[in-house]
Amino acid sequence: MTDQPIVRVSNVSRYFKRGTERVNVLNNLDLNVPEGQFLALMGPSGSGKTTLLNLIAGLDTPSEGEIWVGDRCVSKMSEAQLARWRNEHVGFVFQFYHLLPVLSAFENVELPLLLLPLTAKKRREQVMTALELVGLNDRNSHLPSQLSGGQQQRVGIARAIVTDPTLIVADEPTGDLDAKSAHEILDLLNVLQRSLNKTILMVTHDLRAARRADRIQHLDKGRLVDQPDEELYEAG
Amino acid sequence: MKFLMLIFKNLRRNLLRSMLTSAGVMVLVFVITLIWSILGFLDIATSEKTSNFKGIVTEKWSIPSQMPFSYASTLENGAAREESDVKPIDSMTWQFFIGSTEKGKAFSLSTFVFAFCMEPRKLLTMMDELDSLAPGPKAELEKAVQAMEQNRQGIIIGQKRLAALDKRVGDRIKIFGVNYRDLELECEIVGTFPSGRYDNNSCINRDYLNASLDAFKVSKGKPHPLANKTMNLVWVKVPNKDTFTKVSGQIDNSPMFASPPVKIETASSGVANFLAAYKDLLTILRWVLAPSIIATLAVVISNAISISVRERRKEMAVLKVIGFQPNQIMFLVLGEAILLGVVAGSISSIGTYLFVNRVMGGIPFPIAFFSSFPVLDGALWWGAAIGFVTSFAGSILPALSTRSIKVVDVFSKVA
Repeated sequence: MTDQPIVRVSNVSRYFKRGTERVNVLNNLDLNVPEGQFLALMGPSGSGKTTLLNLIAGLDTPSEGEIWVGDRCVSKMSEAQLARWRNEHVGFVFQFYHLLPVLSAFENVELPLLLLPLTAKKRREQVMTALELVGLNDRNSHLPSQLSGGQQQRVGIARAIVTDPTLIVADEPTGDLDAKSAHEILDLLNVLQRSLNKTILMVTHDLRAARRADRIQHLDKGRLVDQPDEELYEAG
Repeated sequence: MKFLMLIFKNLRRNLLRSMLTSAGVMVLVFVITLIWSILGFLDIATSEKTSNFKGIVTEKWSIPSQMPFSYASTLENGAAREESDVKPIDSMTWQFFIGSTEKGKAFSLSTFVFAFCMEPRKLLTMMDELDSLAPGPKAELEKAVQAMEQNRQGIIIGQKRLAALDKRVGDRIKIFGVNYRDLELECEIVGTFPSGRYDNNSCINRDYLNASLDAFKVSKGKPHPLANKTMNLVWVKVPNKDTFTKVSGQIDNSPMFASPPVKIETASSGVANFLAAYKDLLTILRWVLAPSIIATLAVVISNAISISVRERRKEMAVLKVIGFQPNQIMFLVLGEAILLGVVAGSISSIGTYLFVNRVMGGIPFPIAFFSSFPVLDGALWWGAAIGFVTSFAGSILPALSTRSIKVVDVFSKVA
């Protein structure tokens, strides 16, 4: 891990219009994430953590402010540029895995590589490496329906890392798993961070999961807060 | 090519829906193939040829045309009288004999006989399609023609008619005249037509009909009421349009054909005139039924693809997250529809071509001179073309709608 920030969020606001009313989701937010850091974003429902994650991953654009990832200003890119950039630089892990049910584990992991100029042989090598990293190389021909929740999430992680991205963003990656599977997934994220020096941003409600990260940031009403109100999490 | 696997797998996602949509495409392409084959065949029959085309001589003012047989030899020569006059390169006369194999019984499909009474040898040179047979069927027909020439009571009967009459080659049949009332012909079946256009037709030697009419006069003491009206058509084959114009002038100016007067027109024009009675039906087929079927096909595909897109909004959002461009997702959806349409359409039209032409021997649709129609060679690519066009038209709107899927909206609803 270096101190050099790979993610820089400068004075970012995000608001939505609901009729004539303006709903502020994020307010003048600043955040730096050093390369190789595992950051957990916590906060109550509606605090803006998923919105922040979407902005950093280039799935949404800020109403104000700038977001830089590496040397690219994500907030200024067009939709087509963002799609290409996400493919090469961001790995996304979803709470509900979102694997394509008609594709095998291998084919699901291969999907992002179809967009890159790689030979079939090279794609196969990369997919098998990713599946090996998540410990599922013996299940590569299984359909998602033939895998457990924990295994499906591991396939989701393999899909996220198969392009060797700069950044891995995970939105409640353990939210749909039992305690044992959640533990295994967090172990896996720790391995990715430590052995491959991946920068990981994880949104979670689970304090035990957040404690596996290097750093925890709390969001409340669209702002980063240093001292979280413990009551905020009791409901979650 | 990399995305083809994805397209195939998506089509297998809901196999029942894909199969039902394919079945819908196949049925509609089947109907379109039949309609277009009939219309296409009639278009060919009514379009002018530039060389070796045929003219039809008929009575000028009366339908059906009933000319005296005494006109035959003059008309067959194109009414040429002077040295400088031109003659047709070939010709034939047609006398229609409609009869039943059972006397006094109701006219039915199992007893009905429709025969062209003509010179047997003209079958080989003047009859459409029979004049261009492959060596095998041609040799068979030539054998039957020889038998008719040796035995003027010989009859050639189309294969379907022969089966309907429950007769075989070599059997003898008695045909009781329906248009030639009280005239009975005793014939020996000497052969059949090759499978296809003439499946329900028959051919009798014209000499036998004429001799029977003479015999009628002897036995009844008076000529048959139609004795002087037996010749329905005369066909003449001319090498080019100029010759046709000259022959037409010779016939128009001939004093031979005063009562009844005659006219000559090109075969295509003659067929077109004959088809005039079916004009409304053909117009509906061409401009209402066929377009309606194509529109229905597009709607069927549109419906299936719209449902599929709606069900898969989440997956499309995932594809966007991992880097797929909106256009790529749109082309995946279009690809699914087009693959389904082209494959189902091709199977249907090629299957229809093979089944109708090889097994059924044509589309049974008796109209004008035609009893059945072949599925045209164009049908081999019609299915693919119809499938492509209709699936593109049907899926373009649902496919375009995928471009506007907002990842954030989709996942905010999921969470």
